[in-house]
Amino acid sequence: MIRLNKVSLCLGNAGPSSSVQFHLPSFEVEEGEAVALTGPSGCGKSTLLNLTAGLLRADKGEVQVAGVNLADLSPAQMDRHRGSHCGMVFQSFHLLAPFTAIENVCIGLRFGCRKRLNLQERAAEVLSRVGLEDRMHARPDQLSVGERQRVAIARAMVSGASILLADEPTGSLDPETGGEIFKLLREVANENDRTLLMVTHDETLAAKMPRTFDCSGLFRSERINLEEETAAR
Amino acid sequence: MSFLTMAWRYLQFRWLVSLLTISGIAIGVALVCAVLALREESRKALSRDAGLYDLVVGGKGSPLQLVLASVYHLDSPTGNLPYSDYQKILRDPRVFWAAPVGLGDNYSGYRIVGTEAQFFDLPDRSGKPFFRLAHGQVFRDRFEVVLGSQVASSTNLEIGDLFFGTHGLVEVAGAEVHRDFPYQVSGILAPTGTAQDRAIFGTLSSVWEIHETEDRLHSAIQGSALLQGRKERETTAILIRLKTPGLRLWMADEIREGTDGIAAVPINEILRFQQGIIGPVQRVLLIVAAAVVAVACLTVLITLYQAAERRRRDIAILRSLGALPSEVAMLVFTEGLLLTAGGILFGLLLGHGGLAATALAFQEATGLMLDPWRIPVTELIALAIMGMSGATASLFPAIFSYRRTPIHDLRLSE
Repeated sequence: MIRLNKVSLCLGNAGPSSSVQFHLPSFEVEEGEAVALTGPSGCGKSTLLNLTAGLLRADKGEVQVAGVNLADLSPAQMDRHRGSHCGMVFQSFHLLAPFTAIENVCIGLRFGCRKRLNLQERAAEVLSRVGLEDRMHARPDQLSVGERQRVAIARAMVSGASILLADEPTGSLDPETGGEIFKLLREVANENDRTLLMVTHDETLAAKMPRTFDCSGLFRSERINLEEETAAR
Repeated sequence: MSFLTMAWRYLQFRWLVSLLTISGIAIGVALVCAVLALREESRKALSRDAGLYDLVVGGKGSPLQLVLASVYHLDSPTGNLPYSDYQKILRDPRVFWAAPVGLGDNYSGYRIVGTEAQFFDLPDRSGKPFFRLAHGQVFRDRFEVVLGSQVASSTNLEIGDLFFGTHGLVEVAGAEVHRDFPYQVSGILAPTGTAQDRAIFGTLSSVWEIHETEDRLHSAIQGSALLQGRKERETTAILIRLKTPGLRLWMADEIREGTDGIAAVPINEILRFQQGIIGPVQRVLLIVAAAVVAVACLTVLITLYQAAERRRRDIAILRSLGALPSEVAMLVFTEGLLLTAGGILFGLLLGHGGLAATALAFQEATGLMLDPWRIPVTELIALAIMGMSGATASLFPAIFSYRRTPIHDLRLSE
């Protein structure tokens, strides 16, 4: 389902003669698998998630998601691929403020699934699944943080994406609400045999996942070999 | 959910900025609409008057002044002509219609025009009667008058009412009132939408009678000799419709050579007046209005650019949900189009609404009747140009959104 092989990515300079490099020799996730990405802050968890989502492109190596090599896709094809295969859940929810809960979910469906569907009906169905049947017409600022994350989960799953990518989904929530959101994420992933890749700092939650992947050491600072670079040019 | 709905919701969300931007565009559009509509309408209205007569003959002086005084009831007349000149013109076989105009008095600022009953027989250029009586009848006796529609409405005079004329062409405090010669209203004209609505029409003989009597009285008071015999009677101007308008210039030359007066072609004088005096003023107003529209379009650009800048996070979210760069750009562009369209629509209503609100005051001041809701072709062209300018201004923030990379903007907080 997800396969990253010998992936490297330069993420800027760490000084006049060194750069920050992301190196991942190999990483694989099977269909329906749930994996927690763990490790200290800045170790590369989110970078790995964004590479999988196609929000970052690898400089070298192969990133395969849902059977497609992302390097072969144009930016527009990448957006479409992400919309139809990956549902994203963020730490700060990333809901669109002018729109109600159901409209936020409709927007996810509109861009994620380009089939002709009854958007409202499908969005209402998914919002009911995450327990927000009574809050569909509330705007994000009228929702509690837990409810906002529920809307974000509904938006991520509404298009029928087979992969859920969650970047610290409980990071902004109190432990109790965080626990509920984690439970919900696991449930919706299991229901449709979705693959779940979740970045988390919370060791308790990570321990509840079937598999964890420690991202420590994915980033390293490398000296820039000026001679090599000049020769390459 | 369509782009239109999404764009509308974003505009609603920051309603104050949207409203201010739309208002900015609307003011510019309203100015352009008002100036262009006013230019077109006043041109039509002026031509309606000027087109009635092929020639105006009067005493030596400025041809424009002669036309303004005798056709539009605005300026001072140039000087008088012997009445015999009018009789001579009337006998000319090329003349379809002619009427004398004698000026000298006013009532409440409205000029009393001494003429003859055939004045009202003049048809418009399509052959239909130009003057129609709304009430009463045409004057039949001395000191009977027919009121223009605006005179009747503003003075509240009715059929059978009596009033006194005041000496002079404009209302001046302390001016001599001809109390021995009361006028009686015999008829009221239907509105014509021209300067004729602002005049009072009576017989030329009554104008003569008032002034000859007053002259004799003054002479007697001053102890000077009584007028010896009767002075030759005069007319201020002669209005002429020819059987063939093509004969205008030929006949004008003949009149200039055969009389002590001048002959002016009203439509030529008015066109010159419009091009020479009104035209430059209107051009300046149009330039000001175009500048306002340009600033308004710049406002659209800045507003949308700032909105796009503030919405970098939202744009990144849409991209993370699978929206293409072109779709995000289209959303921003649609917002710009909505702002522009709103501004144009609002401006159109404001401009023409303003004209409608001031049409009556304009008519009272100039006698010209405007159709405030008519949209001339020049205005449609201007609206199209303004629409395109707004669309062009919207293009830049759309391109900005198109070129954003979502990954960095996703880290922005709400």
